[in-house]
Amino acid sequence: MSMVYINIFLAFIMSLMGLLMYRSHLMSSLLCLEGMMLSLFIMMTVAILNNHLTLASMAPIILLVFAACEAALGLSLLVMVSNTYGTDYVQNLNLLQC
Amino acid sequence: FTPLMLTAMFILLLPIIMSNTQLYKNSLYPHYVKTTISYAFIISMIPTMMFISSGQEAVISNWHWLSIQTLKLSLSFKMDYFSTIFIPVALFVTWSIMEFSMWYMHSDPYINRFFKYLLMFLITMMILVTANNLFQLFIGWEGVGIMSFLLIGWWYGRADANTAALQAILYNRIGDVGFIMAMAWFLTNSNAWDFQQIFITQHENLNIPLLGLLLAATGKSAQFGLHPWLPSAMEGPTPVSALLHSSTMVVAGVFLLIRFYPLMEQNKTMQTLTLCLGAITTLFTAICALTQNDIKKIVAFSTSSQLGLMIVTIGINQPYLAFLHICTHAFFKAMLFMCSGSIIHSLNDEQDIRKMGGLYKPMPFTTTSLIIGSLALTGMPFLTGFYSKDLIIETANTSYTNAWALLITLIATSLTAAYSTRIMFFVLLGQPRFNTLNLINENNTHLINSIKRLLIGSIFAGYLISYNIPPTTIPQMTMPYYLKLTALAVTIAGFILALELNLAAKNLKFMYPSNLFKFSNLLGYFPIVMHRLPSKMSLTMSQKSASMLLDMIWLENVLPKSISLFQMKMSTTVSNQKGLVKLYFLSFMITLALSLILLNSHE
Repeated sequence: MSMVYINIFLAFIMSLMGLLMYRSHLMSSLLCLEGMMLSLFIMMTVAILNNHLTLASMAPIILLVFAACEAALGLSLLVMVSNTYGTDYVQNLNLLQC
Repeated sequence: FTPLMLTAMFILLLPIIMSNTQLYKNSLYPHYVKTTISYAFIISMIPTMMFISSGQEAVISNWHWLSIQTLKLSLSFKMDYFSTIFIPVALFVTWSIMEFSMWYMHSDPYINRFFKYLLMFLITMMILVTANNLFQLFIGWEGVGIMSFLLIGWWYGRADANTAALQAILYNRIGDVGFIMAMAWFLTNSNAWDFQQIFITQHENLNIPLLGLLLAATGKSAQFGLHPWLPSAMEGPTPVSALLHSSTMVVAGVFLLIRFYPLMEQNKTMQTLTLCLGAITTLFTAICALTQNDIKKIVAFSTSSQLGLMIVTIGINQPYLAFLHICTHAFFKAMLFMCSGSIIHSLNDEQDIRKMGGLYKPMPFTTTSLIIGSLALTGMPFLTGFYSKDLIIETANTSYTNAWALLITLIATSLTAAYSTRIMFFVLLGQPRFNTLNLINENNTHLINSIKRLLIGSIFAGYLISYNIPPTTIPQMTMPYYLKLTALAVTIAGFILALELNLAAKNLKFMYPSNLFKFSNLLGYFPIVMHRLPSKMSLTMSQKSASMLLDMIWLENVLPKSISLFQMKMSTTVSNQKGLVKLYFLSFMITLALSLILLNSHE
């Protein structure tokens, strides 16, 4: 593979690490989710444009749509947690009451 | 003939017109009204005599009022058999009642207005009785309704009186809907509101207008479905009860049905309906009368029961007998009311029979008239009631009719005797149960004269009327002896039973009322249920459908809240995690890294 792809793939791996390993705030994992989405989008667009695979040109746009939906969901969950506890510290989530 | 009749009617109008002048203000006005009515009575006897001797009927049609497209409305009076005989009777009874109310309402500051209202009532009743077309009858109909409202609510400071007056108007209005329906049917189907034209043209199916007229009679004459206003109307002064609710107004409904007898003769369905309605009314109100404690209410229920009997008579196709019963009933019922008025006034406004007793020594005249009135009511042979009531029962026994309705009428007849005995027992016999400081006297000449007139009427009027009227439908002459004695037998049975029960229970301990007693005392729960339940249900239903149904349920609850509630319940039921998110993520990452490192050896 060429260097560009490896670079973007590395960015993806970094965001994944950030998603899975965070200390206290739930917001940081959501931010890393956005980073993963961004790197995927870039990789997909670059690959399609370089190989002139115009048939699949809608794929990045659709990816954007779904990413927006999931970001909204994640934010609403964050707001719900924040409504109940006041902050979004992840150690609050051990009680699991609605 | 006709000028005399018109004179009689016009004389009645004079005191009303005089009410704006000086004559109204002085204290002789009641006396003036009373003498006016007595003159009108005497004058109206003359056309009646002419009618009896010659059988000649008349229709006076003098003033063409208006023509609406093809309908011609004019002021026409019909002097036929019914109105010619009814007018003297009504005037006689009203004369006595006016004299009575001169004694009864003596201390009332608005006595002049009272007499004016009574006179206006009488005039509208005359209009009703002599109307030749439906429109004029409707004018009289509404007129008596309005005067009834004003007179029932005479003591308007009392909340019960206002409620009762309103109740009377509302129930009458429901009947008026039937009347208007009949008028509309006649207007569209025969283009006339005159009786002559209606009776001549041959109609196909008369169910609708006759149903309308039956509904009107139910409303006005307090038949079963629309009856609660009549006992409540006893909130008015006793002369009002005597005039309106015993003799004249409540017979307006029966009179309407009698007027339409050519139409009702042909329609079997209508006759059966009338019969059953009358029978139910008679029995129901007689049952309710058995356990009432207010003397005026007992007499009111007795009126209601007799009205049911009149409707039964119409139902067996005997309008002339019903009319005869109207005329005779007026005498003794008015007298019963006046006697109870004299008792009430002497006992210082005490109306509860449980607090009266032993009145036959202090008030001999009232006692006599009460007993004679009750006997006439129950149909004692050769008093007034006998000539009409016994004939009705005989005709019902020998006619081809509904046996159940007949049986009910017989039971109601015996109950009539029972509650009359109850009145007499509680009011007249025994030891006094009232406050001992009352001064009881019957000295006033107005009281004595008026009751005396009606007393003589109660005894002799039946004989006089039935032997002097032009012959009408022939009563049944031959029947088995047991049928002929049925009325007498059930009446005597009622008397004896009631007397025995009352005597036996006189000194016993008062026990808690049984369910049957409660049914009878509370008027069969009918007013309690029907006044509250339908209105509350319709109001809550409209409130619910207006606000709850659309807004709160559909827009708010069905989709959004139900989904959120469902999801929450399901998630708490299903999930069993403990929420240690960081550990879960770390384990995910370590697994991923391990798998990538370990499985890298394919290269």
